[in-house]
Amino acid sequence: MVKPLRLLRGYLFTVVGIAIGVAGLVALGAMSERIVRFIEGGDRFVLGQISVAGRGMGMGTGFTAGGLLPAATIRALADVPGVEGVQAQIMLPLDPSTSQFMTLTQELILGVDISVPMPNRHYRSLPVRAGRFLRDGDRRVAVVGAAFAASRGLAVGAHITLEGESYEVVGVLDRMLTAPDRFVFVPIADARAQWVAKDRLLRTVLASGGMALTASDLNTGAAVGWRDGADPDGVALRIRERVPGVNVQLPSELSRLLRSSTAFFSALLAGIGALAFVIGGLSLANTMAAAVFERIRDFGVKRALGATDLQLGREVLAESLAITLVGGLAGVGLALGLGWLIDGYVARAQQLFYFSPRLLGGALAFSILLGTAAAVYATARVVSVSPAEAIRRGT
Amino acid sequence: MLRATGLLKSYRAPSGAPIRVLAGVDLAVKAGELVVVTGPSGSGKSTLLNVLGLLEDGDGGEVRFDDERVSRLGRAAKSRARGRYVGFLFQSFLLLPTLTALENVLLAAQYVGRSGSATRRRAMELLKEVGVADRMDHFPAQLSGGEQQRVAFCRAVLNDPPLLLADEPTGNLDDANGALILEALRGRARAGAAVVVVSHRPDAAVGASALYRLRGGVLESP
Repeated sequence: MVKPLRLLRGYLFTVVGIAIGVAGLVALGAMSERIVRFIEGGDRFVLGQISVAGRGMGMGTGFTAGGLLPAATIRALADVPGVEGVQAQIMLPLDPSTSQFMTLTQELILGVDISVPMPNRHYRSLPVRAGRFLRDGDRRVAVVGAAFAASRGLAVGAHITLEGESYEVVGVLDRMLTAPDRFVFVPIADARAQWVAKDRLLRTVLASGGMALTASDLNTGAAVGWRDGADPDGVALRIRERVPGVNVQLPSELSRLLRSSTAFFSALLAGIGALAFVIGGLSLANTMAAAVFERIRDFGVKRALGATDLQLGREVLAESLAITLVGGLAGVGLALGLGWLIDGYVARAQQLFYFSPRLLGGALAFSILLGTAAAVYATARVVSVSPAEAIRRGT
Repeated sequence: MLRATGLLKSYRAPSGAPIRVLAGVDLAVKAGELVVVTGPSGSGKSTLLNVLGLLEDGDGGEVRFDDERVSRLGRAAKSRARGRYVGFLFQSFLLLPTLTALENVLLAAQYVGRSGSATRRRAMELLKEVGVADRMDHFPAQLSGGEQQRVAFCRAVLNDPPLLLADEPTGNLDDANGALILEALRGRARAGAAVVVVSHRPDAAVGASALYRLRGGVLESP
């Protein structure tokens, strides 16, 4: 036990060098993983339902970007062959002053008609970490996403004020690493009231009596589910043909649109990944190789004492495995600590890093393989000179 | 035990011109003999020892240990031959800084498959014989030059090699420690080893079987 510890102490700077390289690799990789999860989550969402909005510009209606979707249209949607369920929804920006910007970090209020089961095939229910999800008949209650809750220190039983009204938080969702992390889910009746409160134009229209609108007509969109065996794109096309006055996107088309709109991020991710790979890898390989080159005299002495190339290779392999493993673990720990610190204190509880098992395992395997390969390469170089030359160079 | 014939070795100067260091060296050392080689700095004494001990290849000639022509062996076989036949003692001791004195001595056994409690006992006996047993858990940086060379001597003789090559073994030592090391080398010769010592010290030749001077790349009797 004493000897391995002494070995590590002797390689302290090497271990620290490897740890820093691996930490950089893991931290950059974790940021990349975080964005990948966000995009994948959005893609999974749009492929799980047919999203329908009222035709029009939908001023102030958040991501749905459509006009009103009246109750009659909701009923017409439900009558289209292949449709299994239609859930009326209202999506509003929490802060209307920024609603013109489609940002990835926008906080949204989502009013859902809980009397209808969630039609999204990939999100039949949302994972609740504490408390419960909305129930039919609820009023003035809210379920908040994990990031929303963390940024405001909200827990079950807390109260938040939305458009001047107090809402009790009855549930906090698990972190999903995608859009719902920043959502506030409220009963649709409450969302309708908030929409009217937020939207002066809507208030004016309602007050004028110029349009025959009831509360149930105030929907910004609908999530449409399809029956088992039905082709979602086919159902969406039928909706387009049979229901006038709606914007409907084919799920596959929406997925493609989402992916093309996030192409910049994908390219950024590839760049970050490549950068992490090159910087971390170079730092690690250089540190390990330098550690071996520094010991050229020791290798010369050992060869003078009868060590064969194979014996030295085995020795270096065992040492480099131990050193890169310890350095790699330290690097992973360093990155985890850094991520925890930044997510908790700098990013105001917005999760910037996602340390997936595949990332941590991959980084560790990468560091061990690359470190060992560098050590073996350096050893091969060192033993290529005569023992006398090795002793001369190292003295 | 050791027979070298026609050893040649040249180095290249920065200008590219060859510098001949060994120009046909012949040397034979029998078991129990102590041979001392002297010569001015740069005359090639260390190169001669390196070629004799298979630490570097000559450009020509051959080296035999007993009847085995070891200079023609492959890399791995040369390494094994060094471990089996040769003990080295260097001017700068060349102890590994991360190992204790005892571990440095035991290193000699590690690569020839002679580990175990008997080897450990033998190493401790040797350290005791040269008066550094109480420093066996110390690292080289914690030892004086004389102590380091005594530890290096123990490492060189742990496997009882039939050939001992010492390159200026007293070069970095005071007179007392130098005399102690020289006496230890004479003791190895008396015990049956073939010993070759390169040294500037006049007292190195005391008790030597033969004394040579390396001049112009060849060995001469002074």
